[in-house]
Amino acid sequence: MATKRDSPTDGSTDTEGTGAGEIEARVGLRYTLRQVKRDTTARIGIYTVGFVTLIAVLASIDNYVFDYAIAEAIWYSPVQDPEQVRRLLPPVGMENQYGQGTLEHPMGTDHRGRDIFGRLFYGTRVAITVGFMATAIGLVGGTLIGAVSGYYGGRIDDVLQRVTETIYAIPFLVLVIAFMTAFGRDLTFAMIGVGITSIPVFNRLIRSRVVSVREEDYIEAARAAGVKDRNIILRHVIPNSFAPVLVQATLQIGVSILIVAGLSFLGFGAQPPTPSWGQMLSASRNYMLPAPTFSLFPGMAILVTVIGFNILGDGLQDALDPRINN
Amino acid sequence: MGLVRYTLWRLAQAIPVLIGIITITFFLANQIPGDPVEIMLGPSPAQEQVEAIRARYGLDRPAYERFLNYLAGVATGDLGQSIYYDRPVLEMILLRLPVTLYLTVSAFVFAIVTAIPLGVISAKRRNKPADHVSRIVSLVGVSTPSFWIGLMLIIIFAFYLGWFPARGLPLPWASPAEVRGAETQLQVLLTSLHHLAMPMVALGTLQMAQITRIERSSMVESLQGEYVTLARAYGVPESTIVRKHAFQVAQLPVITIVGLGLSTALGGAVLTETVFEIQGMGRLIITAINNQDYELIMGTTFMFGVAFVGGVIITDIAYAYIDPRVAYGDES
Amino acid sequence: MTDPLLSVRDLKTQFFTEDGTVRAVDGISFDVYEGEIVGLVGESGAGKSVATSSILRLVDSPGEIVGGEIEFKGETIFGLEEDAAGDLRPRDEMLSESEMRKRIRGREIAIVFQDPMESLNPVFTVGGQLREFIEINRDLSEAAAKTEAIAMLREVGIPAPESRYDEYPHQFSGGMRQRVLIAMALACQPDLIIADEPTTALDVTVEGEILEMVQELQEKYDTSFIWVTHDMSVVAEICDRVNVMYLGEIIEQAEVDDLFYDTKHPYTSALLDSMPRPDETVDELRPIKGVMPEAINPPAGCRFHSRCPEAREVCREVHPEARDLSAGGEAAHTAACVKHDAFDVGYEESPAIETEATGGFSAGFTETGGGAE
Repeated sequence: MATKRDSPTDGSTDTEGTGAGEIEARVGLRYTLRQVKRDTTARIGIYTVGFVTLIAVLASIDNYVFDYAIAEAIWYSPVQDPEQVRRLLPPVGMENQYGQGTLEHPMGTDHRGRDIFGRLFYGTRVAITVGFMATAIGLVGGTLIGAVSGYYGGRIDDVLQRVTETIYAIPFLVLVIAFMTAFGRDLTFAMIGVGITSIPVFNRLIRSRVVSVREEDYIEAARAAGVKDRNIILRHVIPNSFAPVLVQATLQIGVSILIVAGLSFLGFGAQPPTPSWGQMLSASRNYMLPAPTFSLFPGMAILVTVIGFNILGDGLQDALDPRINN
Repeated sequence: MGLVRYTLWRLAQAIPVLIGIITITFFLANQIPGDPVEIMLGPSPAQEQVEAIRARYGLDRPAYERFLNYLAGVATGDLGQSIYYDRPVLEMILLRLPVTLYLTVSAFVFAIVTAIPLGVISAKRRNKPADHVSRIVSLVGVSTPSFWIGLMLIIIFAFYLGWFPARGLPLPWASPAEVRGAETQLQVLLTSLHHLAMPMVALGTLQMAQITRIERSSMVESLQGEYVTLARAYGVPESTIVRKHAFQVAQLPVITIVGLGLSTALGGAVLTETVFEIQGMGRLIITAINNQDYELIMGTTFMFGVAFVGGVIITDIAYAYIDPRVAYGDES
Repeated sequence: MTDPLLSVRDLKTQFFTEDGTVRAVDGISFDVYEGEIVGLVGESGAGKSVATSSILRLVDSPGEIVGGEIEFKGETIFGLEEDAAGDLRPRDEMLSESEMRKRIRGREIAIVFQDPMESLNPVFTVGGQLREFIEINRDLSEAAAKTEAIAMLREVGIPAPESRYDEYPHQFSGGMRQRVLIAMALACQPDLIIADEPTTALDVTVEGEILEMVQELQEKYDTSFIWVTHDMSVVAEICDRVNVMYLGEIIEQAEVDDLFYDTKHPYTSALLDSMPRPDETVDELRPIKGVMPEAINPPAGCRFHSRCPEAREVCREVHPEARDLSAGGEAAHTAACVKHDAFDVGYEESPAIETEATGGFSAGFTETGGGAE
């Protein structure tokens, strides 16, 4: 009984406190990394995600720093038509009818004679950037709204929750399409749009955590000690939600990549000639019979990337929540 | 008694959400760049002509007035007039909505029918081979873009094997005259199902995967419940425990996921309809956007919202039906 | 003396976890005779619940019964033998899983769990659940089972049982739910009911009512009970004989009066001192010092020595087996503590050691005055 009184009153020792504090002390970044290392599934996830991200970084460097010089040297430029071919060519599959050896185009070429492997490689950049950025937008927005809503409660909570509920009430692909029609059809607005639609997910997660944490002794103590509300939210409540948010964010990156691929498929998102997987799939629709591999590989790229994030998310969940793990 | 009241209460709750949807839709439609009248009349139209059209569609009014008019219109079942097609929006939507609902509902039927056994077997044989297979299937399922599944199905089953048609989706209750190769209503039904198979799988796979995951974890938890231990201690056969005692409780989170999955599925329908060239709501909204048809964009977006909200209400009622605690209002 | 209804001999149940083998129940023996209420007492984690689920053979993986014998009315619920190769295998007469389900569980031995909130299925009506178990265990038709269920609800004091039959668990209070569970157990007309801390989750007043009701019904139906609890006052009120468990072992076993007035094990004394007694006025209650050690690596010697106020050097070394310490002609009273002369291992000569109870490891905020009274 007596130990109850020992709840810390300053931020520096909040993780040593009683009740929730004790559990949460185990979910810092270092703890997470240690757990992930022990979990095989999470490790596979982290390797996949790391691999795809590395490709995206390389592709970006080649794009911005060298203006596709490396790509030109190894394959063909992923954005320019080879030898100024302006007419559409039949895309070729694995068996090359276009004259090049298959080694040169391991996955064939597309309808403009561009190397599919090269375009896939550079398409990674779009997928990864959009996945991370959209999730970041949703994470920041959702965390802010959820934290404020849950901490203050009352009318602020009501208004904010009604608004996010309404956002959630329109099927999100439709909402993003409408949003992009209104503001712009390029990648930036795809990111913002997908980010906005993921706000409700993070909002709900954070809000429920905040509502339950709000009643904890150590928060009461902090408030009694005169710590400002803003500081309580930033230094106590949000760090305490680290584990579930990390899991959700990882899964959400995968979801965002899927949505953005879908948007590109419909013509919303990365505009040609920027290579993106969804848009490649869209172009491939007219060549499914002569060149099925044109449709096959971009889809595989999406699949592998998203699986990576999903495995990592599941692995994190298992690693961070011993109750679910068996 | 409790259930009826709960249903009414749930319906009443939907009204502000619908107003919210209209607000968002109206706001977005107003942001769309370009002048619809110009698109309709072609380049450099006569000034009087433009003004006449503007007056006719109420485009000369201030935004708040148009918004209130639109709200009033929706309340009386009038979604406005398509500027591009010069037809009532509601009429166009009602032609397309059944196709999308047919596709989406079928996808969920497919998803539920396959996912529940998979999830239950997985939970019952936790960490055995059957469990691993089902977990891998659902992992791949949640990670695969539905439209790509559609493309692959078309390449394999339509182009190479020739088993299923690659495009179109006639409704099962269409008149035989409208459906090619069908003379009787039964043939219409069969043709319809034949067309339905691939888009249904393409759209339903993600739902299947998600439901399998939740069914598994929910069954695992339910099977560890004390009421299950109690049933075992009273000699209830294991098969009855799985089928009845653990199963029914475990369906509660599953129902929630089905409700939320409706959002993904309705969005996915836009993609699936594009892949299989199905004339549903998804194609309608894309056409409306390409034509900058304000009223039609607002109407279709609103209808997607209505479909989702309606679906969620249905799943909520199903939840209340299974879980007596909800309808009686003891726990929210 | 007649044969016991249930006889447990040297029962061992272990859990094979990643961190090691947990010896949750480590060689306990006790009997239950017809018509008596036998207490199984101890702190949480002592292995009481594992012991009771072992009796029904309902230990979940990674737990497993690894040794010992359980006989019930002449039938072998559990029993191993060595085969030719020296490996242990179930004896032929041991009941199969389906025989356990069809003949024993519910029908012969029924159980009441601690948490009435969790034990009833939230999505079925109370009556429906009761009726199902009666149907299964008494081979009654649906209609007959329903009549029986309503009669039983009335018997356990639920008002208007006809209308409450169709209500759901969340519409019942905790005490009412526990009455339902007791009705469930009695309705199956078993010879033995295992009550696993059935009143722990309830208010004290409700607890009192339920205990009173159980005593009345027990006399009426002459059912035997194993009453699991950590509460000595419940034991005093309801039990005929008591087994005190500590870390998987039964360390004292006696008739209830003997246990209270002629306590032989320091752990039992500590338990008694830690709760109010209706028959004595004390100045203050003395909580048991320290925490029960993990059952993965139980302390060597006497398992209680780390918390025992009377611990001596010898307690660290000698692991005492329970012995009957009753004088001739008295009812059996066994205890496992070397301080009694019967053990004769040199307790008196052995030097006292510092333990958590003597203030060696952690000085509590209430100082213990003298030793045992």
